[in-house]
Amino acid sequence: MIQVRFYSLLRLMLKQEQLDLPAREGETVGELLQRLQQQIKIPFLHKLLNEQGVLHAGTIIMVNRRNILHLEELATPVKDGDQLGFFPPGAGG
Amino acid sequence: MSGWQGKLLRVDLTAQTCTTEELNPVWAKEFLGGRGLASKYFVEEVAADVDPLAPENKLIMAAGPLTGTYGAANGRYMVVTKSPLTGTIASSNSGGYFPCELRYAGYDMIIFEGKSAHPCYLQVYNDRVELVGALHLWGKPTQDTEDAILAEFHGDAKVACIGPAGENMVHFACIVNDKHRAAGRSGVGAVMGSKNLKAVAVRGTGGVKVANPQAFRTAAIEAFGMLKENPVSGQGLPALGTPVLVNIINQFGALPTRNFQEDTFEGAEAISGENLVATYLKRNKGCMGCLIGCGRVTGLKGSRFSGDGEGPEYESLWALGASCGIDDLAAVTKANYICNEYGMDTITAGATVACAMELAEKGLISADEIGMPLKFGDADALVKLVEMAGKKEGFGAKIALGSYRLAESYGAPELSMSVKKQEFPAYDGRGMQGMALNYATSNRGACHVRGYLVSPEILGLPEKLDPQVTDGKATWTKIFQDFTAVVDSVGVCLFTTFAIGVPQFTSFCKAATGLDYTDETLLQAGDRIYNLERRFNLEAGIDPSQDTLPKRLLNDPIPDGPLKGEVARLDQMLPEYYELRGWSVKGIPTKKKMQELGLT
Repeated sequence: MIQVRFYSLLRLMLKQEQLDLPAREGETVGELLQRLQQQIKIPFLHKLLNEQGVLHAGTIIMVNRRNILHLEELATPVKDGDQLGFFPPGAGG
Repeated sequence: MSGWQGKLLRVDLTAQTCTTEELNPVWAKEFLGGRGLASKYFVEEVAADVDPLAPENKLIMAAGPLTGTYGAANGRYMVVTKSPLTGTIASSNSGGYFPCELRYAGYDMIIFEGKSAHPCYLQVYNDRVELVGALHLWGKPTQDTEDAILAEFHGDAKVACIGPAGENMVHFACIVNDKHRAAGRSGVGAVMGSKNLKAVAVRGTGGVKVANPQAFRTAAIEAFGMLKENPVSGQGLPALGTPVLVNIINQFGALPTRNFQEDTFEGAEAISGENLVATYLKRNKGCMGCLIGCGRVTGLKGSRFSGDGEGPEYESLWALGASCGIDDLAAVTKANYICNEYGMDTITAGATVACAMELAEKGLISADEIGMPLKFGDADALVKLVEMAGKKEGFGAKIALGSYRLAESYGAPELSMSVKKQEFPAYDGRGMQGMALNYATSNRGACHVRGYLVSPEILGLPEKLDPQVTDGKATWTKIFQDFTAVVDSVGVCLFTTFAIGVPQFTSFCKAATGLDYTDETLLQAGDRIYNLERRFNLEAGIDPSQDTLPKRLLNDPIPDGPLKGEVARLDQMLPEYYELRGWSVKGIPTKKKMQELGLT
């Protein structure tokens, strides 16, 4: 299984902290996101991606606590046992 | 002058006189306002070796040429003085309505000098200015002080004041304006207390004149659009405020935990922004003219504590929470309220309690001396110690000195997680190398709002930088530090810079002042301000050997999480940074550089 955790606005929108998805061979973060959107009826992808399907500036997606910006972005592969965290753009200081 | 009001108020507390002066237009152009212009006046008028708590020290409250305009979150001001915590020049920023009211009363800044023989406060009603007795306010918490002043002076006045911590000269006392906003860091409230100045109350009924209203309107429309469209300023910050960072930084593995002994806090979810929304958040709130509205209005109803107020912000959730190993959100919020009421910086307060917890766990302080057993995770002890610090009562008097002096007094200064005696905020520099360099070279000691490299290194804004790469970080750090000095000086909130950049600030400054600023000259003004502060610090005896980090960050690898094994590689960045700054290899600004900036 792949564990997905929602943070920030996503958690408020979806009223859900976490869900588990069965892993699929060779799947990427981008593909998993599309699958997740099909499963969750509330539209949420626009909080993470723009109309061209590109990550918004400031979106953070972590795979096993590593930011995909520093991996292969949406092409980062995911596998069974991985933990993913989705953070729409946010900041502070 | 346009943009600037062209007038400053000088208050001699010893002589109890108030006079107005014309603002120096040459300095205003070169140092902008706020942090920059106040620093220029400060270094011209105060000897670098002044005792921060002596009457000879001065305290300047300064707005910028954009403060109080409708530009973009333009409700900020700066307090500049010499810090009792660090011995460096201090400039502490706050937002709200007070900064704008100062401008509407017709002033760009107030310079306080000397020391009043008795507690007093300043009343300003446009050009009617008067020092009045404040004996009846002495000892009051900040919110009660403001309520009393509004009742006796003017109901529409805006107030900046100190609480008991400032009166007691707690080294990290702050100045609270509009009840819940604070010029928080570096102990500026202690300087105000040392002068027996309880508050400044301002009612202004004028406006702010800009040189080119049409160009200003165009700039404002562009900036508002960018702020609204940007997902950070338009959605993320309004919904979750700064506390959204608790989970982000913790997941990233750089949330300093138990006094930087670890970097992943198992209780992060409990003190997160998400949980704050689910529990104690009532609504968000903004400073004047701000569409972001990052402020958190909260109440502790339903918890074991009582109280209402604002906060905690991200830094406070960390300092009073993860840093102390505490996952009790109600206790953290209560400790935050106490800091607000007493007028104390939540970062140094929490970080110093965390330092005390480590000293106690290592057996360097006894429970008898503290007056209670103390260990990480003890929420009740946190709440008690914060209040004791505000009162300087018992062991609280040692907390009141900040973590460096506390740890040093027990023979373990290395346990103070600070630079130049000011405590780190909520990001471990071992996990983001640019931030480590910024901490080491910040002119007011460890600070995140002197160069927020977190933005590119963690958030990927304005572009992604690999946090563990050191190449190029010197350049980024200098640019961020210089740009931040500009933002701090013109009177705009730093959070706007998630959406707008140097070109927008240039448009605003040109339209407001009518002067021919360019992106380059504006950033050069930031460089000038940075060097001015640096020179003061050097003259004050803060030599470049203090451009460093605690041994824990330099030598002890992060023990846990995704960044396990990382240390701060300062030596790989500092020489290049000095070179970029135009400083000698020893970190001294060269004559050529100072001439280039007009600082000779």
